[in-house]
Amino acid sequence: MKRVLSVFLGILTAIGGFVDIGDLVANALVGSRFGLSLAWATLLGVVGICVFAEMSGRVAAVSGRGTFDLIRERLGPRVGLLNLAASLLVTLLTFTAEIGGVALALELATSVNYLLFVPMVGLAVWLVIWRVKFSTLEDVFGLLGLALVVFAVALWQLNPSWGDLVHQIAVPAKPADEDLPTYFYYAIALFGAAMTPYEVFFFSSGGVEEHWKPTDVGTARANVFIGFPLGGLLSLAIAGCAALVLLPNGIAVDTLGQVGLPVAVAAGKVALAVAILGFVAATFGAAIETGLSTGYATAQYFGWQWGKYVRPRQAARFHTLVLLAVIGGVAGVLTTADPIKVTEYSIVFSAVALPLTYFPILVVANDPGYMGRHVNGRLANALGSVFLVVIGIAAVAAIPLMIVTAAGQ
Amino acid sequence: MTKRPFDLKLRLLDRQVVDPDDALLCKVDDVEFEQDGDGAWYVAALLSGPQALGPRLPGLLGRWVMAVDRRLSLKARVPPHRIPFERVTDLGSAITVEWSDDDPSLAPLEDWVRRHVVDRIPGSRHESE
Repeated sequence: MKRVLSVFLGILTAIGGFVDIGDLVANALVGSRFGLSLAWATLLGVVGICVFAEMSGRVAAVSGRGTFDLIRERLGPRVGLLNLAASLLVTLLTFTAEIGGVALALELATSVNYLLFVPMVGLAVWLVIWRVKFSTLEDVFGLLGLALVVFAVALWQLNPSWGDLVHQIAVPAKPADEDLPTYFYYAIALFGAAMTPYEVFFFSSGGVEEHWKPTDVGTARANVFIGFPLGGLLSLAIAGCAALVLLPNGIAVDTLGQVGLPVAVAAGKVALAVAILGFVAATFGAAIETGLSTGYATAQYFGWQWGKYVRPRQAARFHTLVLLAVIGGVAGVLTTADPIKVTEYSIVFSAVALPLTYFPILVVANDPGYMGRHVNGRLANALGSVFLVVIGIAAVAAIPLMIVTAAGQ
Repeated sequence: MTKRPFDLKLRLLDRQVVDPDDALLCKVDDVEFEQDGDGAWYVAALLSGPQALGPRLPGLLGRWVMAVDRRLSLKARVPPHRIPFERVTDLGSAITVEWSDDDPSLAPLEDWVRRHVVDRIPGSRHESE
């Protein structure tokens, strides 16, 4: 019974933890401009993150090694270091966007300028990383993130023609007033938002933090294969709400308030309050995950002691680095760069960095030396290889499309 | 028993080094070879730290890593950290070695950061609860 409960809790937190500032912004923005005609990109990204998160979780459970440990081992110190630099840059950009997201959500709730909240948010993020037990922080922010289910409720309240929505998803048709490069630019943004590399660093390192054994592979799979797709449905609900309320009124999303607007229209004030709670929980949870991920990736490359399963003084370099990342992230938001714009760039650069993370995972998951009888089966390899091609195309196309479309303008 | 070739690059280099309690010590940044009486080469030690990693990084970056490490040290000569191969007890997904607090530190930067930064923050000795 206890095991069933813990699996159930794991799935719930996986759902609530799936959505972060990138998913919020990308899905609402795309919904408000393209309706559901790009839902395929989100769905593709969700399948992709499931395939690779399952692999990295299985590798962590069987070998006890985090993702970056293996990246260095497989790619060598040179390419590994280049990979680390690129991944850190993207993760720090995402971290900055998440801190900005928390502050923007607090501004929505209080009407106090978001910049005033930024130092406090940074302090809170650091305190949680410093003191709160790993499983507690995962459970609390995962469960609070479930408040975003209010977007599904709002979609229901809007009483759309469901057949029409399904038709929009199944038979994608680009809106006539948008050009093709912009359409594909946003497809890559959605794909990058769903597959952000830090999610894999965090998921696999989290497995090591929680001392997963090979017998926990089943639990990890349940989290990934049930939790992530349901989290992906929340992303679609956000896009759906924007498509139904914002698109007909010609409102293009460029603030967090506009992301929540359809909820207020469809389900009223209380629902909006719940949505804002969901924003805070989702972005705060993701800020902790990205902050920890900068430490995980670096420490695993250099072989430092890392993790919250030891006392902070036993992982001194790790905690010092995370502290520096928090200071850097806070400084980044305080430059007054628009957090929504930072988010948009972070998800596109995520798409560029994807092959760096996912290729080594696929290689290691096939190595019987690590994995024993838990090596990849045919299905995992077939899906992994197909996705590696998709990821490669997205990574190569992202920057040229960004230039051609002037970042989707 | 048949002799199977052991791929040092694949099975030893860049692996995580842990102690018997699974504490993470360092990476195998390089290995040291020695020759026995018959002229056969064997691995004498695992090397670690910036002085071992630096030569394996490209040109200027590698030299810079080593130079910064030398500057941070008080000693005139800074060799890489050395773990004699006799200390290795297991070769798995990580390399397990016998290493105690009496042995020379494998991570002076960790010690410095612990003393000067982390230990000064309240709660550094608590298990996170």
